[in-house]
Amino acid sequence: MRRLLAVIDRDLKKFRRNPLVLAISAIMPVLYLFILGHSFQGKLRSLPLVILNQDTGSYSRSVIENLRAIEAGPNTFTLHFKSNEKDAMDGVKNGKYKALLVIPPDFSKKIISKGRPELGLFLDNTDGISSEAIRSTVMGSLSEIDNYYMPVRERAGQINLRDSYLYRKVDYFQSLVPGVVIMAIFLGTLTTGAFNLVMDKFLGVNESYLLTPLSKWDIVGGLMISGLFITTCIAVLILATSMLITGIPLSGGITQVAVMLIVIILTTLSLLSLMFIILGRFDHPRVVGVLSGFMNVILFFPSGAIYPIASFPPWLRQFARINPEAYAVDALKSVLFKGASLGAIKEDVLFLLVFTIVMTIIALVTFRRTL
Amino acid sequence: MDSWENAVEVHDITKMFGSTMAVDHVSFEVARGEIFGFLGPNGAGKTTLIRILTTLLKPTSGESKVGGIDVAKYPDRVKRKIGVVPQAMTSDLDLTGYENMDIYGRFYGIPPKERKRKIQNLFDRIGLTARANDLVATYSGGMRRRLEIIRGLVHRPEILFLDEPSIGLDPQSRRVVWDFLRDLMKKSSMTIFLTTHYMDEAEALCTRLAIIDSGKIIASGTPEDLKSRIPGNDIVSITVDNLSEKLVNLVKKINFVHKVDTENRTLRAYVDNGAMNLTTLLDEIRSSGAKVLSATVHAQSLENVFIHFTGRAIRSEETKKVSFLAGPGARRGIR
Repeated sequence: MRRLLAVIDRDLKKFRRNPLVLAISAIMPVLYLFILGHSFQGKLRSLPLVILNQDTGSYSRSVIENLRAIEAGPNTFTLHFKSNEKDAMDGVKNGKYKALLVIPPDFSKKIISKGRPELGLFLDNTDGISSEAIRSTVMGSLSEIDNYYMPVRERAGQINLRDSYLYRKVDYFQSLVPGVVIMAIFLGTLTTGAFNLVMDKFLGVNESYLLTPLSKWDIVGGLMISGLFITTCIAVLILATSMLITGIPLSGGITQVAVMLIVIILTTLSLLSLMFIILGRFDHPRVVGVLSGFMNVILFFPSGAIYPIASFPPWLRQFARINPEAYAVDALKSVLFKGASLGAIKEDVLFLLVFTIVMTIIALVTFRRTL
Repeated sequence: MDSWENAVEVHDITKMFGSTMAVDHVSFEVARGEIFGFLGPNGAGKTTLIRILTTLLKPTSGESKVGGIDVAKYPDRVKRKIGVVPQAMTSDLDLTGYENMDIYGRFYGIPPKERKRKIQNLFDRIGLTARANDLVATYSGGMRRRLEIIRGLVHRPEILFLDEPSIGLDPQSRRVVWDFLRDLMKKSSMTIFLTTHYMDEAEALCTRLAIIDSGKIIASGTPEDLKSRIPGNDIVSITVDNLSEKLVNLVKKINFVHKVDTENRTLRAYVDNGAMNLTTLLDEIRSSGAKVLSATVHAQSLENVFIHFTGRAIRSEETKKVSFLAGPGARRGIR
């Protein structure tokens, strides 16, 4: 018994004397709760919905007024208007809008004549949660019309909502694949690149090569390239495996593969350069372990990989705007599920490129080539 | 080879870490082709000084030249001229001995054929050829140190710096290292600069040395020079049953006795020609009534030089810094 107590006592004393571990144990769970709590189950907001109104009657205006009420109130979606069908569809295809509501030219007439009035709702279903939210909200608003606008004696025809999903149906597991690949990349950049620098410092091995003519370009550049190579191989393997397991077809052939490879490479470089800045100062792997959990949470959950960014509170949304993983997830989703070309995801690609360049410059400038 | 006479020139170098002065206005020169040693206890500033000379640290003030090149102004040029063997073991455990050497050679831009030839030659000379293709993780401490010594030579430097080359080595490995270094100096007229706290190492290897303590040079010269500064060239240690003040004064008055130290019941007399004068000394002591329990004569050694110049007090070593962030449980390197 006494021996057991001695073992316990020793461990408790050591725990007390390590402030970093103490802080992490106390603060992390609270942080996780805060961020995770806001990432999930939030009410979706400001989903962009584009309306093509081809009708001139009063009932189309009623529909639009109802939708406006929702925009002003719960703000599930924001309304945009296009008069050209092609523009509207293109907008949905390149991700500018999440759905297109078409009010056909004979809509009001059909209501009055008790025909079968129909509205067409084209949904971008690469994110099931968002598309479902839009669909159900629009449906809800239509039933409102039934109740409010009909004078007591008229019994108008039932409005049907013809919803059609623009893309091949994406089930839940398939929708997780971009997130899985991004997480694989994150873990890869955590265990290569800057991590080797930390280990070298920890073991004191860095002293030996600092004595040689190696420049900081050699050291940082070399570690980044080898990290890029290893992480990309892992990420491609995980992508291929998960596509196989969840049954996502490769519809775009070599081009699609090439575009995904570019996204993976840019994401890896962004995270590698970020790691150099964050981890480059430390000389103990324990710090890496502690920070990795933290970074994973704040980068991954607000990336929209699991739950759409539209459901985040404003401050978390702002954070998502500078989170490279958010752009990576968006790009991968577009390529995998919408067959997007490089041009369609150029904003994501541009952000990752600029992020990499800026972070790499900072990493090189702040790299200390001394003991 | 360009024409420089002194391998190392140090002019009034000072290094402060916070408010601690690790190196205190140190100046000295090392001529080409000699083996120069810095002898001193732990914490004397030896490692700090070597790091300044090998471009790893910048001095707070002062200048130094290595191979005729200003270290602060042209560190890259200095790096190409020197080979360094640090005190800590810095080879990669997860590479083989050969791979460690090869990669290091590539860091210096040595072309493949030349590299291979040199590496094989060096392995032979230090006796590690049989284990060259084994992982360094399987090497003993002595083998690892020997590997790191030849690693510092892979680019054929003109000056070799070694920080405590035989620390932690077994006697066998020490001999191998000493023989290798002496051989190196003779065959390639390399200048060798080393630091050590082992007297026998300084005596065995160095053509000239400087004694350093608390960041200052206390004395310098060839080992013979330094020994001759101690009065008397022999020391006679006599243990008696009863050491009295009277006895000590009696011994001091003897003409060939220069100095007397005491410790417990042992009397240490610094004399000339100890063997010859031993009987006289013993007679004097017996005549005073004391009984001689043991008597030894030994030649002056650097150990005595060292104690003479630095005193015998155990120096309080500087406290190591504890990192707040990583906590005391985290290992810290040598500062």
